[in-house]
Amino acid sequence: MIRRALALDGVTVICRFRDDGMLVEAYGLIAQEQMAGLAKFAYEYKRIVQGNADQLSMFTQVAGWTPPRGWVVHGKAVAVCSVGNLVALINADEGNVSEVMRELDDLSHY
Amino acid sequence: MPDLDRLMELPGALASFHFSDRGQLGDYRVADGSPLEKNTLDMLCHMCVANTCIGTMQARGWEGLTGTKGFYPIEGFTLVGFEMSTVAVGNYGVVLRNEDADYQGAYDALAGQAS
Amino acid sequence: MSVLAELAALPGVIAAGEYSYRGDRFSFKGDLDDEQARMASIMCRATTMSVHMQVDILNDFCKDCGLNPSAGWVVRGPGFTACAYANIFCFLDNSSASLNDVMGLMRRRLRDRGDELI
Repeated sequence: MIRRALALDGVTVICRFRDDGMLVEAYGLIAQEQMAGLAKFAYEYKRIVQGNADQLSMFTQVAGWTPPRGWVVHGKAVAVCSVGNLVALINADEGNVSEVMRELDDLSHY
Repeated sequence: MPDLDRLMELPGALASFHFSDRGQLGDYRVADGSPLEKNTLDMLCHMCVANTCIGTMQARGWEGLTGTKGFYPIEGFTLVGFEMSTVAVGNYGVVLRNEDADYQGAYDALAGQAS
Repeated sequence: MSVLAELAALPGVIAAGEYSYRGDRFSFKGDLDDEQARMASIMCRATTMSVHMQVDILNDFCKDCGLNPSAGWVVRGPGFTACAYANIFCFLDNSSASLNDVMGLMRRRLRDRGDELI
């Protein structure tokens, strides 16, 4: 199912990871070892974003930040997008981050 | 301003370095036999900058909520690794062997307060 | 004597606390109220997890060079310092605490705690 994300412009890799960071399934144009690395990074980064969102809520006393639904790290040439336990790698100048996040949100419900 | 060669005189010093506000490694020194290479130090610098920013955010939030003063602005960050530590203050840092690490001395030297 | 009690008894230690890696429990000794201790636990846990990931990444640059796994961290402000080792944290008054004494005690008492729960 998650393979359909590769149909979006710019998406080069899509991975699903477990709650302990292990890779469950992955499709795309990089080696399996790199996909496992991407999944591990996404798992750890998700926990960091969760921690920082908790602190933002705590310090500002404003609700609505937690639990975070996803995150995007935008580099010059590539971006990493994640929602739930899915993470995608996209070429920044070809893909549309909003489209990718919508698709990940949809796929994360299956 | 800390002198990189003087920082290497700290007990257990394995490296000393300067970095930009964004974490890019500048001038550096590495002790003979140290396992640290240039790209490792560059990564370490980026990490120090990232955590100083996180600490600064936390200090701001803490002081805003509790009304206490004294954490903000964050002046330094130290990572205690398995066998070695790094201490960064401002745009300078030093890597020390844990068994010899004098954290206070490193802070003072990096802050330019060493006698 | 518990490690928290030992730390809290050192000069200049405002408070010492312990948090669960899951983030659902905390305990502390010293001059913080419950809400402040809860906040401190959330902050310290977040930084510990973040540093753990960063050092894991750093390990790719220098395999087994002695940095990995991360054991703790220190952030120093003009008046106070926060430090953590494993899942224990301390808030210190810079004017009266010895960072070396606190870090030394933490290292001696906590160095055998592994990172598998992070």
